[in-house]
Amino acid sequence: MRLLFLLLGLSAVGAQAADPAKILRITFQAAETGFDPVKVSDYYSGTVIEAIFDPLLTYDYLARPAKLIPNTATALPQIGDGGKTYTVKVKPGIYFADDAAFKGSKRELTALDYVYSIRRFLDPKNRSPYAFLFEGIAGIETPERYTLVIRLKQPDYNFAHVLAFSLSGAVAREAIEAYGDESAARPVGTGPFRLKRYVRSSKIVLEANPGYREVMRDGKRLPLIGGVEISIMEETQGRWLAFQRGDTDIEYQLAEVAPTFITAEGKLKPELARRGIRLERSIDPEIIYLYFNMQDRTVGGLGKEKIALRRAIAMAYKVEDQIRIIRKGQSIRAHYPIPPGVAGHDPDYRSSIAHDPRAANALLDKFGYRKGADGHRRMPNGDPLVIRYSSTPSERDRQFDELMKRSLDSISVRLEIHKDRFPELIKLENQCRLMMRGAAWIADYPDGDNFMQLLYGPNTGQSNNACYRSPEYDQRYEKSRLLPHGPERDRLYREMARLMETHTVWLLTDSRYRNVLMQPRVKGFMKHPVLHAEWLYIDIELLR
Amino acid sequence: MWQFIPTLLGVVLLVFFLFNWVGGDPAYILAGKIANPERIEEIRRSLGIDQPYWVQLWIFIKQIAVADFGASWSTNERVAQIFATRLGPSLTVLLPLLIISTVLALAAAMLVAYYRGSLTDRAIMIGCTVGQSISILVYILVFQYLLAYQLGWFPVQGWGGTLAENLLGYAALPILVGVVVSLAPDIRLYRSFFLEEINQDYVRTARAKGLGEGRVMWLHVLRNASIPVITNVMTQIPGLLAGAFLIERFFSIPGIGREVILAVERSDFPVIKAVSVYVAVATMIINLAADLVYRALDPRVQLK
Repeated sequence: MRLLFLLLGLSAVGAQAADPAKILRITFQAAETGFDPVKVSDYYSGTVIEAIFDPLLTYDYLARPAKLIPNTATALPQIGDGGKTYTVKVKPGIYFADDAAFKGSKRELTALDYVYSIRRFLDPKNRSPYAFLFEGIAGIETPERYTLVIRLKQPDYNFAHVLAFSLSGAVAREAIEAYGDESAARPVGTGPFRLKRYVRSSKIVLEANPGYREVMRDGKRLPLIGGVEISIMEETQGRWLAFQRGDTDIEYQLAEVAPTFITAEGKLKPELARRGIRLERSIDPEIIYLYFNMQDRTVGGLGKEKIALRRAIAMAYKVEDQIRIIRKGQSIRAHYPIPPGVAGHDPDYRSSIAHDPRAANALLDKFGYRKGADGHRRMPNGDPLVIRYSSTPSERDRQFDELMKRSLDSISVRLEIHKDRFPELIKLENQCRLMMRGAAWIADYPDGDNFMQLLYGPNTGQSNNACYRSPEYDQRYEKSRLLPHGPERDRLYREMARLMETHTVWLLTDSRYRNVLMQPRVKGFMKHPVLHAEWLYIDIELLR
Repeated sequence: MWQFIPTLLGVVLLVFFLFNWVGGDPAYILAGKIANPERIEEIRRSLGIDQPYWVQLWIFIKQIAVADFGASWSTNERVAQIFATRLGPSLTVLLPLLIISTVLALAAAMLVAYYRGSLTDRAIMIGCTVGQSISILVYILVFQYLLAYQLGWFPVQGWGGTLAENLLGYAALPILVGVVVSLAPDIRLYRSFFLEEINQDYVRTARAKGLGEGRVMWLHVLRNASIPVITNVMTQIPGLLAGAFLIERFFSIPGIGREVILAVERSDFPVIKAVSVYVAVATMIINLAADLVYRALDPRVQLK
């Protein structure tokens, strides 16, 4: 009998629930759109979804660069058929959070749930913004309850990252069918948290999922906290004041006021450090760049005089001013098309395009872009030369317009600013009808392929916004797709980066810092380059 | 009443053509980061924006007839549900704001009208001019910093789960800001209404009859000056519901104004359509109600 009590006691310790008194309070700077994984594309909804649903794979919280590890899978996928077949086994004994949709019974996670969840991305009626990640799938089979076999149309050694993508978590068919259009507000997953209270665009309250499987770290069962309280606060002043007052525990998004809490050296100001506040600074896995439309009559093409024009514009643009003035010092110069923290990034690579208006002017002179009577340069054939730069009517874009104007003035090139709404710019961009525009790309998964595909010819009209078609680039890219991450693929990537630079398709500008501020009571936080809901690993020190 | 139909039709046409002219194609936002032309067409089809304009317009008119604007394009939430859940927070702020600011403005306007030309009158009028010249944004930022952050009298922002928690806690500072912002223009406007009445013959007659100044002002003058005041207050209501977006956004109040801004940012036409129609209908109904109140206040007013 005593043995039975002892065993029950041990089991109770092992199954110790997260402490409900430990509530993490954070903010989002924009409203979420919902929590149905296939229907969202915004960062905020994705972060909550990451906490509620479980993908097959995930990333090691501490490893840098990001490293894939199994999540609900028993092991990393077995890749066969030269990169065309992925076999994954789901761990038995994982259950969905209790929900009325299951009519009182426990609902186990099986391979079929992943099949259903992936197919939902490809169902046109769901209008999934991330359908493109799954379009390479030729077929999915479940030879037995826990085994999933995914066959791809083409070899793809990066597909494992798609299985770790936070929106690829398993949903239960019963819950989706029970809630229909309301499924965005009634998420039911197997993840560490579940939705407790939801006031759209205002408050999202998560609580630790009591049925979450046993995941241990440093001898403790995760999650350590009892819940997360998310307030939507769009305005920076409110978020900053609320954090300073101690109303919130972690503040992720204070880029506009960063100089008020960060020194020029990138350290937390002493007055805040004295209060025990901590700063976690990392580079977002993104690139920001200016692109030229390679099909445009004025700046496009691979003729020498066109390359010279693009090169001269790129050399006139002062990236340092963009970082210093517009970003307020909160970004670093980007040299390589793959940002830091992403597999394939080359920290030693240096862009050959330096800010040098004098050399830019000489280059234009050499290729026949002579100045006319009005002081502006003309095309080599004597036609007027006007660079049309497109941007949205936002305050931020006006700053970019001014910088572009100053830059082109330094090489006597006339600038025309084309203003349009964001969807219209995307439409024109997809039709290769813009001349030049600024763009940004943040990693969907931490692999270089996600960035190098941006210049692949067949992606014109989709992600290749420069409409760049170079057989040399495309051949290398196709070859790189057949290779796993390693020195051979990195060599190809370097060649592709130089080729892009030689053709001056883009001017890479910068990658932004993410400055995360934490109250002293927050323990164990480390910003992950890909995961956003680090709440699973965080602890909170309660005041005594 | 019959004027409702052409007015509403005008609003419908204006909203429809404005959205299609300047609103941008929402399919390009909903398509996500990488979308091929086929997917974009699929989205356009599912939203119904691939249909000819006249078909889309007819659908819009039918939606008005059955008061069902479908679901939000970006969140899939029913538009009716959006309004049902956002109206409460908006009214929690706007009703007290309107009542307090009207009472205070009436009292102050009557005071300065009574003491017209005095130092008090001039001081309050100068104060009103200065107050009116300052942007609402400045009031919000300064009040939030001083009263909420520095003095800790109010929460910086947020919204709770109960009416009492909101009314006494989260809504207090937004209401204060709203009252301060609206006082200056209201006092100036109401002062002119009172001045017009104070010089009327019936006021002189009332005084000649020996009535006290308090009774003359609060009963006779106030009652006659109320008609334009009511017009002003009632016409503010629909505009305030949708137009209080700055207050709602800065104080994170999940109200209708904030929802309107979100809808515009997301090119969420079902929500934009519904807001425009509801505001137009509310304006017309409130104007009608104002006419009925005039009649109640002044039997000489004839409704035709």
